[in-house]
Amino acid sequence: MGEYVLPKSNISQWLSKLLAKYAVYVPIEVEKQVHWHLLEPRDLEKEPDAITPAQRRIRASEPVKSFMFQPRRQVASFPEPFTPEVSKPRVLLGIKSCDIAALKVHDKILGEGEFKDPFYLAQRKNTLLVVADCPEPEQSCFCNLLGLTPYAMEAGDAVLSVVDGNWVLGVTESGKGLVDLASELFTELREGSSELARRDEQRHTALVTLNMTNTKPWNPDLAGAVAAKLSDTAFWNKHAETCVECFGCLMGCPTCYCFLLYDQARDAGVDRTRAWDACYEAAYARVGGGANPRAEFVKRFANRFSCKFSAFKTDHGMYACTGCGRCLKSCMGKIDIRKVLGEL
Amino acid sequence: MSNPYQPIPATIIETHDETPNIRTFKLKPEREIPFLAGQFVELTVPGHGEAPFTPSSSHFKRDTFDMTIMKVGRATSALFDLEAGDRVGARGPFGQRYPLEKFEGKDIYIVGGGVGLAPLRALFLALVHEIDKYRRIFLRYGARTPDDIVYKHLLPEWQKIPKVDIDLSVDVSDERWMKKVGVVTCLMDDIPCDEKSSIAVVCGPPIMMKFVNQKLLDAGFQGSNIYLSMETNMSCGVGQCRHCRLGPYLTCKDGPVLTWDQIKDIENPFV
Ligand SMILES: Cc1cc2nc3c(=O)[nH]c(=O)nc-3n(C[C@H](O)[C@H](O)[C@H](O)COP(=O)(O)OP(=O)(O)OC[C@H]3O[C@@H](n4cnc5c(N)ncnc54)[C@H](O)[C@@H]3O)c2cc1C
Ligand code: SF4
Ligand code: SF4
Ligand code: FES
Repeated sequence: MGEYVLPKSNISQWLSKLLAKYAVYVPIEVEKQVHWHLLEPRDLEKEPDAITPAQRRIRASEPVKSFMFQPRRQVASFPEPFTPEVSKPRVLLGIKSCDIAALKVHDKILGEGEFKDPFYLAQRKNTLLVVADCPEPEQSCFCNLLGLTPYAMEAGDAVLSVVDGNWVLGVTESGKGLVDLASELFTELREGSSELARRDEQRHTALVTLNMTNTKPWNPDLAGAVAAKLSDTAFWNKHAETCVECFGCLMGCPTCYCFLLYDQARDAGVDRTRAWDACYEAAYARVGGGANPRAEFVKRFANRFSCKFSAFKTDHGMYACTGCGRCLKSCMGKIDIRKVLGEL
Repeated sequence: MSNPYQPIPATIIETHDETPNIRTFKLKPEREIPFLAGQFVELTVPGHGEAPFTPSSSHFKRDTFDMTIMKVGRATSALFDLEAGDRVGARGPFGQRYPLEKFEGKDIYIVGGGVGLAPLRALFLALVHEIDKYRRIFLRYGARTPDDIVYKHLLPEWQKIPKVDIDLSVDVSDERWMKKVGVVTCLMDDIPCDEKSSIAVVCGPPIMMKFVNQKLLDAGFQGSNIYLSMETNMSCGVGQCRHCRLGPYLTCKDGPVLTWDQIKDIENPFV
């Protein structure tokens, strides 16, 4: 991996070069929360390093899956088949380690099975991922408990660390073009350079922070433990007590991939839409005629845990959770998934 | 890359009323859907959504195929408003076929309830097409009343096929009914085949499946030889959306037919 430093004075120049070729999304801060923002040329006229602070924050509120597996999109039509429009290549500049791990879940389901989702794969191929370090993990973060680090383990196309306001960029083969399109703005870093040493120090501090927040390790066989607890209604009831079934935890979750296909009549034909769905929804598993294997909420609550921590692990060798903490931050009932898992 | 959500047009070329609420639709798809007995197809009723159904005709003739469908809700009611000449959409085939190679040389004991005979008909026709490969075929079928029996005009023909043995029951009889009265398990009191090696295939309403399965186990059938059609909610049909999850399985991908051995550890599999 080639490593470079982009001095703070060159950041906006590089971004404007990127804008000529790509749709560029960056994290920005709005009322203390981080959100994705489609960069526009006029954003660069402001203070040159205005977008740097948000790069140091944790993941955006919106799960990164929204870019490839949109909340709602047309996937078919009838009787004429549907042909999607081709979109401009994109760069997600500042996704986090937990979110790139979450994309692996979608890759497995939508991109690697016998049947593949051509829409997901097209968007995935069309998007360069720059993974930014999290120098300051927050209380809601627990990637460390899921075997992840608060900086890229999986490089994507490039990794970004903010060091003293300058950007340190590591590019893989697939991300080389990002530096090449304006190589005059970058200085290559040699092993042992002070920037890399500072970056590694920051990374270490972030890990220590996470380990202090999340001290209690879980049952090492979480998959087995969840499966064994599945029919213990009292256990799940205790944790589900304050849930108001708003589905915020599922809609915000970067790994949840359940969806529903629905049709809408249009002129002489039909449009088919694929929309995110929620396994907490009462009718989710209901069959024709009305029978429902998970009619009681507590079964649907337990099912979510069994899906993420047992079934997915058994089928795909990984948990369908990355510790991003979105579910607990969005929960009106203050349910903390860590607490549930901690009791297994 | 092919789009797994895109249906192809199929024309309804004929319909046949089996019972007051079950109808067989003969469909001619624009391109052949290469299904094998046990696999299913997602049917689009334009403007009213999609639902999974198993072809009920033989996989040895696929330029047209039949679906025998009970009117139960939104999509099926809209389908019943369509007529010959109308167009629907179809995607598939999806799911696993019956492993017919494992059935060879054996007795096959088929138990159906209500509209559950529809998927079993595709299996039955595939078996009789190569009847020399199998020992004997038993078909036990129960319906609510004599009027609710599907394939009334076909059953007498099937009974004439050598090596085939058919018996029927109804829950509620009328004066014309000459056969057994009772739920379908009343036809299973003495099972005329070797329980240890025979194959059982069951499809029907969940409660019927539960009791039939128990009766087969009590009679000595091996859990790995009992094939059960599991009905779950489905949306994508292609192993992605997760609606059809049943314990460790996705019924659209691993099923819809699963053996008792596969599902026996699932809490309450027949809902
Ligand atoms: C593999 C397989 C093979 C099958 N083969 C056959 C067959 O050969 N013949 C046959 O007759 N049947 C068959 N079925 C059953 C058939 O698929 C159902 O009867 C059919 O889906 C009913 O559709 P419907 O829209 O008419 O029913 P509905 O009851 O209206 O709807 C069924 C679906 O809509 C959802 N739904 C209903 N109301 C709501 C609501 N208010 N909000 C949200 N969701 C709702 C349900 O959860 C369910 O997904 C098969 C099923 C499977 C899984
Ligand atoms: S379950 Fe919660 S913590 Fe885990 S990936 Fe989903 S939103 Fe993040
Ligand atoms: S969970 Fe870890 S990787 Fe994700 S935002 Fe928090 S610190 Fe960063
Ligand atoms: S129906 Fe979508 S995964 Fe089975």
